[in-house]
Amino acid sequence: MEDFWYEVVEVSQSIADGLLFGSTYALIGIGFTLIFGAMGKLNMAYAAAALGGAYAGLAGFVLIKAPLVLVFGISAIATAALGYAIYFTCFRFIPVNNHLASLMASVGALFFIDEVVVHVTRGSPLTFPSMFGDVYFELGPYGIRGDLVFVFIIGLISTGVLLYILFRTRLGLATRAVAQQDIAARLCGIGVHSTNSVTFAIAGVLGGIAGAMTAAAVGVLSPVMTVPLTVKGIIVAVIGGLGSIPGAIIAGLFVGGFENVILYFRGIDERDMYVVALLFVFLVFRPNGLFGTAITRD
Amino acid sequence: MHLCRSMFRLNVKEEIKIMKKLFRGVSVGLLGCALMFSALTSSAERSVKVLGWGAQSGPLKSFGVNSETALRSAVAEINAAGGVKLGDGSMVPIEVIGYEDSACKKDQNIAILRKTASTTDAIVGMGTTCSGSCQAMFGVLQKKVGDASDSGLQMPILADTCIRPGLAKISEWAFRNVPNEIAMYDALFAWLSQQHPDIKTFSGGTETDQGHSFITHTAVIVQAAIKHGFDWVGPAVPELGPKVKQGMKELQAAAKTQHWLMGDTNYSVQARKIKKQNPDMILVSSHPFSACGFLKEIKRQRVKPKLLVGLTSSASQETLNGCMKEAEGIIIPTGFAPITAQAQKANTIVTKAGGFLDLHSAAAWENAYLVKAAVEAAGITAKSETLAEDRAKFRDALATITAIDGLIGPVTRDTATGEASKPYVFVQVVDGKWKVIHDPRG
Repeated sequence: MEDFWYEVVEVSQSIADGLLFGSTYALIGIGFTLIFGAMGKLNMAYAAAALGGAYAGLAGFVLIKAPLVLVFGISAIATAALGYAIYFTCFRFIPVNNHLASLMASVGALFFIDEVVVHVTRGSPLTFPSMFGDVYFELGPYGIRGDLVFVFIIGLISTGVLLYILFRTRLGLATRAVAQQDIAARLCGIGVHSTNSVTFAIAGVLGGIAGAMTAAAVGVLSPVMTVPLTVKGIIVAVIGGLGSIPGAIIAGLFVGGFENVILYFRGIDERDMYVVALLFVFLVFRPNGLFGTAITRD
Repeated sequence: MHLCRSMFRLNVKEEIKIMKKLFRGVSVGLLGCALMFSALTSSAERSVKVLGWGAQSGPLKSFGVNSETALRSAVAEINAAGGVKLGDGSMVPIEVIGYEDSACKKDQNIAILRKTASTTDAIVGMGTTCSGSCQAMFGVLQKKVGDASDSGLQMPILADTCIRPGLAKISEWAFRNVPNEIAMYDALFAWLSQQHPDIKTFSGGTETDQGHSFITHTAVIVQAAIKHGFDWVGPAVPELGPKVKQGMKELQAAAKTQHWLMGDTNYSVQARKIKKQNPDMILVSSHPFSACGFLKEIKRQRVKPKLLVGLTSSASQETLNGCMKEAEGIIIPTGFAPITAQAQKANTIVTKAGGFLDLHSAAAWENAYLVKAAVEAAGITAKSETLAEDRAKFRDALATITAIDGLIGPVTRDTATGEASKPYVFVQVVDGKWKVIHDPRG
């Protein structure tokens, strides 16, 4: 009986950890989904840009001894700039209907950013400062990391701000208009390219925060994180429903919890297999994800 | 008038004779100069060419960069001292004709090996990063020298980084200057059992997607700890102990929930599992990035083992860059530390050149001297027309070398198994720096 309760505590603890850490997946997933919602295209370089921004934040911390809040700010601004550059190089001049070209261009940007980081850092892992890294709440048999709670709260705030921008500002209105019908938006005087570039920059701000928070949660920043985060971000965006922000949030938390439970019971060798199987199940049985709208002919 | 004419004729004839003599003399002189110049340039242009490769991109770039820097620095030192002596007695420099990027990928390593063997004048390939890549690459080489039925490549390879035990037996063309991990960890745990009698139990984890880390953890480190009386308190493993291979499989299956992947970002489950086991000693058999992630997580979860033991590849600057505080106290056996005058000198040179000398890059330095020794023993001519012959002679010479002076002591090679045996020391992170805490040679 004692073992049973121990297992209950451990499993629920693993789920709690996963949910908290899943907030970083959620933020990365929101970035993917936001750009897909606006343009109907996947920006594969999104997670790489997020980590690139985190490196910029770390540079600020090391070179000018920037306080942690500023580290996050530098990360966000740098990723916004990277996002804008990615839009300009991989999407702006590629015909709207050529989805494959922009997809491949963004894959190229992913590896380019990754290799630039590897070149500059020689691939060496670097310590990333953590906010509330020493805070650890112990509630009976449970333990909750203070920094993950912070990550979770920042994730919620960032999402709230994003939703406010999207649904309460003229910029958000323009973004939604371009996403729904770009020709009609153009007829209404909305600049499609300027709106898209701003969308990339906003997604970049979110990505920079996500990159910095992920690095802060791990405590180490390394180029080896790029591909796993890209894969997780896409899985989250697809499971949540491409284009759905609430879907990305829920899917991010769900994937975080799910993979921890699998890790707990089945081990590291099977963890990612189950997570990818989950994606496969969604693609087959619910291709529009949890909250995505059905893709129809325009 | 006639006299004048005859004198004039005579003078003209004499002049012609003199001119002919002069012409002959100048011609002979020019020919001699040309021959001498030709001989000089031929000697000056000759060099012993080597080509290196290792990770120059990707997350393990630092391994390749450090090895390249060490190799080039050692070659520069050899050349400054006169170079190497060829079979005809001439002294020529060693030339590193390139350092390719294998990116720690098997297919890329094999492609570079094939290209080096077929399109370059390199007499030996030097590198490379990642044991898995080495294993695949060695498989492309001819297994037994002189086996006409084996169409494998006949290209000597001198490795510095691929450390996983047992790789030397794959091909007689492959040579490794790497520490013997089985001996190192055996000695480490023997020493720890004497120094820390209070430590009874242990557990730990590894990164399962890295062949070296995973195999060394399951087949070497855990087994050595058990052999020296430490009790494994991780998941129950029925065959752990004397039956190493069976124990390795059982351990792999039983402890799968406390392992991780190299690119993981969340170690909470693994750390909690190990925390519950409450071991005195935790093994972190992992490369720097994930080792740091795991070490940070156990610190967050207030796991306080009496001792941490790490993977030999993590005895590097990267670990200090990633988690200096969390790695404080970790003990790792390593094949390099600047404990001799020669090692200190090499360390200074490589550091000035922008590299970092660790157990892998130090081997790259030593390998440059190994090339010099083998070339001089083989008596090669370093001419393009004798390339295949030179490679074979070089390989044979390398195979007969059983000992060289390494940076921290003699490096020996067992001709039966092909495995190297290197001196090693135990280092520990003390006050944020690697410190040698024990030299088993006393």
